[in-house]
Amino acid sequence: MSDTHSPNDFDPAEPNTSEEYDPVDVAADSADADLRPGADSCYKCSTCDTTCPVAEVDDDFPGPKFQGPEQWRLKRREDEQTIDDSVMSCSNCMRCDGACPSGVPLSEMHNTARGEYVDEQMSKTSVEYWRNRILANYRTSAWLASKVPRLASFAMNFGPARWAMEKTLGVTSERDFPEFATETFREWWERRGAAAESRRRAREARSRLDEPVDGDKKVAYFHGCYSNYNTPEVGKAMVRVYEHFGYEVVVPEQRCSGTPMFANGMVDDARRHAEVNVSSMADLVDRGYDAIASCTSCSMALRQEYPELFDIEGIDDVAARTFESVEYLRIHEDLRGELAAADIEGDLAEEFAYHAPCHARNQGLERQAVELFGELDEVTVTDVGDSCSGISGTYGWKAEKYDTSMEIGDEMFDHMEATEGETGMTECPTCAMQMEHGTGYEIRHPLELLEAALVA
Amino acid sequence: MASAPHVVIIGGGSTGAGIARDLSMRGLDVTLLEQGNLTHGTTGRMHGLLHSGGRYAVSDQKSAAECIEENRVLRRIASHCVEMTGGLFVKRPEDSEEYFEEKLRGCEACGIPAEVVSGSEARAMEPHLAEDIDKAISVPDGAVDPFRLVVANAASASEHGARIETHSTVTDLLVDGDEVVGVEVDHASGAGRHVHGVEGGTEEIRADYVVNATGAWAGRIGEMAGVDVEVRPSKGVMTIMNTRQVDTVINRCRPKGDADIVVPHETTAILGTTDEEVEDPEDYPEEEWEVDLVIDTLSELVPMLADARTIRSFWGVRPLYEPPDVGSTDPTDITRDYFLLDHEERDDLRGMTSIVGGKFTTYRMMGEEISDHVCDQFGVDADCRTAEVPLPGSEDFSVLRDYMDEFGLRSPVGRRSVERLGSRADEVLKTTDPNPVVCTCEGVTRAEVQDAIEGSGSNLNAVRIRTRASMGNCQGGFCCHRLASELHGEYDEATTRAAWNELLEERWKGQRHALWGEQLSQAMLNYALHATTQNRDHDPAERDGPPVDFGAFDDGATPTDDPPTRDAVADGGRDGD
Ligand SMILES: Cc1cc2nc3c(=O)[nH]c(=O)nc-3n(C[C@H](O)[C@H](O)[C@H](O)COP(=O)(O)OP(=O)(O)OC[C@H]3O[C@@H](n4cnc5c(N)ncnc54)[C@H](O)[C@@H]3O)c2cc1C
Ligand code: SF4
Ligand code: SF4
Repeated sequence: MSDTHSPNDFDPAEPNTSEEYDPVDVAADSADADLRPGADSCYKCSTCDTTCPVAEVDDDFPGPKFQGPEQWRLKRREDEQTIDDSVMSCSNCMRCDGACPSGVPLSEMHNTARGEYVDEQMSKTSVEYWRNRILANYRTSAWLASKVPRLASFAMNFGPARWAMEKTLGVTSERDFPEFATETFREWWERRGAAAESRRRAREARSRLDEPVDGDKKVAYFHGCYSNYNTPEVGKAMVRVYEHFGYEVVVPEQRCSGTPMFANGMVDDARRHAEVNVSSMADLVDRGYDAIASCTSCSMALRQEYPELFDIEGIDDVAARTFESVEYLRIHEDLRGELAAADIEGDLAEEFAYHAPCHARNQGLERQAVELFGELDEVTVTDVGDSCSGISGTYGWKAEKYDTSMEIGDEMFDHMEATEGETGMTECPTCAMQMEHGTGYEIRHPLELLEAALVA
Repeated sequence: MASAPHVVIIGGGSTGAGIARDLSMRGLDVTLLEQGNLTHGTTGRMHGLLHSGGRYAVSDQKSAAECIEENRVLRRIASHCVEMTGGLFVKRPEDSEEYFEEKLRGCEACGIPAEVVSGSEARAMEPHLAEDIDKAISVPDGAVDPFRLVVANAASASEHGARIETHSTVTDLLVDGDEVVGVEVDHASGAGRHVHGVEGGTEEIRADYVVNATGAWAGRIGEMAGVDVEVRPSKGVMTIMNTRQVDTVINRCRPKGDADIVVPHETTAILGTTDEEVEDPEDYPEEEWEVDLVIDTLSELVPMLADARTIRSFWGVRPLYEPPDVGSTDPTDITRDYFLLDHEERDDLRGMTSIVGGKFTTYRMMGEEISDHVCDQFGVDADCRTAEVPLPGSEDFSVLRDYMDEFGLRSPVGRRSVERLGSRADEVLKTTDPNPVVCTCEGVTRAEVQDAIEGSGSNLNAVRIRTRASMGNCQGGFCCHRLASELHGEYDEATTRAAWNELLEERWKGQRHALWGEQLSQAMLNYALHATTQNRDHDPAERDGPPVDFGAFDDGATPTDDPPTRDAVADGGRDGD
């Protein structure tokens, strides 16, 4: 100790980023991990509280400082009933993580506390539990719906059914359920010829680009549930844009990223899905593939939440090699140059109101769309500010959270209305839902604009 | 009874408070005098271990047997002050196997339940233990809060009619011929609860008997009557960690040595300690090497301690006593047993007995013995009931409550509050007034603070030890001013300011020895906060001249009903302006 605080040899310490802090060595899974030592980094400045969108509109929500370091420091290790139920009001937007100047593992604390609360303190027969479980397991519902997409889209939004859902399950009837695509992304991918076809197209592109045809540019696409079942156009854009730059795409077996499960404290469910995702991605990463997600919450889960919460073989390698789709191209390709030379026509020559999802913000990606599309003359992308959209995945679908969710979204809606045009843009599918719900705008993904600009 | 004998007890540590409770329960008329707050002396600066006796099972089996007996008693009568964490004596590969066996046999001989656990079992209990430990002995050690326990003893004594005076220093003994007949006292403020700025005074208190329970100070009281009490004060350091790295008491299983124990205490873990003889129990050096030694050595048992956040360090002095003919040179050789020195037998001075040595864990037993002795002097025939009657706060209670429903508190806050208040929780926490959390680190609410103020007056350090407010990781940075403002109403500005300054100074004192890493960041943030929002870097209210007229200050615009209108802009501005 003495050399770190002797007055004679002042040696400024590295800022604490809590990078070495690794609670996982204590227990295999964070659901029973002891995060009390994580409170050591907190000096109570309250910066996290000032950025929490839920605390801003909900006076009963005690905020991230309480939820994270204070609650963990006060709680006992093996103790019933010490997680406060307010942890269920946290939307898991993870803004507090990015805000903390001192490296406190806030979202890990919230996720773990929520898992503990749901495991030990929430009744497994309550409507709330099952409602949350159904919402969190969106993939299962979506899979079913995709078998009869038209009927499902109709039935899910059929008035009396929605009324019943609100009354019995507490799923708000204010929102329209997203439409299910008549052909899922994976169906399209198979029909198109899957990996073999992608390789062919990538090779073609390489020869156009004067790159070695046998080059090593290959990525594994983590499409997530939403672009598979609801917006396959995003997945298709991803494939086409990547092939345009000479990347071979593979689409490995995958389940839900777990994002909605973390947010609902269903850590065991999340783990089951994570095991499948990590095992198929780890294999590919081992063979030189990078993992690409087009949804910022999916990339967040693979990069940060998995290694924080689980101890699965290969998880650290996968985390280190996961990227968001636009981010990856900005690193490896001359996107700006290409865009400067590109034109855009038709319905995407537009004014976009761009909202950066909280989870994009956490990965440092909140400015990428604005910076990138500045190069396109026909298009204007206006950042609508740093507020949270308020939906936070399944949060805004809960009847009792609906009003809070809309109140958080208010600022974003205002700013969207103030832009010219009636199109929005974001990387996150649930933010897109909220943007559309609050303004009636049509919402696109940056990949769609890239596709329109670059892929003839 | 015509009129009960009046006994003056000097010293408001665990020993004095225990005696006060015992004698007043037996119907004697008791006055307790303490120069500072309750627990001002060694009791407020101890490690918080409720001994199972395991530590003395080899070296001092008499003490060990007393410890296990009292350990069981305190679990019963002081349940809201005790946390039964269990304890481990951990053996590292380099520690002696023989000693391990000896320890085990010693525990058996003293009736201390002890069980050998393998290294991996120990690590399953305490995941942060070093990977290479061999094995451990598990014993029923516990953690005890000395403040709460002493306050509860004093409260009980008070309920039985005792007069409790804090901030009242005994400056002389009144001796009439060969008999002590009373004491001369200097009250820092008026009699009763301590209030800053209230004119104190001296008082002569006549007594039928005087008990000297001043621990490390016992020699000084002896001198006042010309008798020799050879207390050998020995200091020890303790360092407080920000969180609990362990939930079990961790002892190193080796003969004796410094820095061999970690005690989980409330939200923290306390590391200790050392053993160094000092001249003066009030003025001794507090040295950095002691803190380093404790952290470095204990990291061998719990490696993560090396980099964990420390919040403060403090020192205590053991009031060790050994009969003049023993002559140990090493303070660790001095017995931990206690001695009752009847000055009549010993020095032909009637009317006074001193009680020295001993441990916190056996305070009640010491109290019983000396109370028996005092009762004998007056032919009072009354049984000791302190081993059966629970302390105020420890009557039947459960910590598992619906905190939100019953008290409107978030569960970790409710849980901690109920643990501290025990059976008094309903009385204190059920309030119709707003009850915000005042100290967020320790989860202390206004109602609990107000209850403490009622009990101890304007002294915020006394409020602190009753509630734990300001004892968490910000060390009062964010709550000292809130605590001070709780004095508003009953106390004026000058009183409040004095109490606030005193609390801040006390909080700063212990942090100085732990200022690196995170706690240094904390101290810097606290400084900036206090300088910029409380003008603590230059306080005009402390200048000479007439007091500040706060009424003359503008208290801001009167709020109107219409909220300011908000225009949307799309420049990323947060509030549209
Ligand atoms: C470092 C350390 C760690 C310890 N850890 C443990 C432990 O973990 N478990 C355990 O059981 N024991 C422990 N002990 C021992 C235990 O703390 C003491 O034995 C016990 O607290 C002594 O209490 P006391 O009341 O006799 O003395 P004190 O608490 O010192 O009380 C004496 C009081 O007398 C007052 N006084 C002195 N002079 C005057 C005067 N002239 N007028 C009025 N008042 C006066 C003082 O202010 C003081 O408050 C530890 C001791 C030390 C030093
Ligand atoms: S994750 Fe978001 S909602 Fe939850 S505490 Fe942090 S900032 Fe607030
Ligand atoms: S921002 Fe970080 S350091 Fe500040 S209060 Fe929140 S958790 Fe603590």
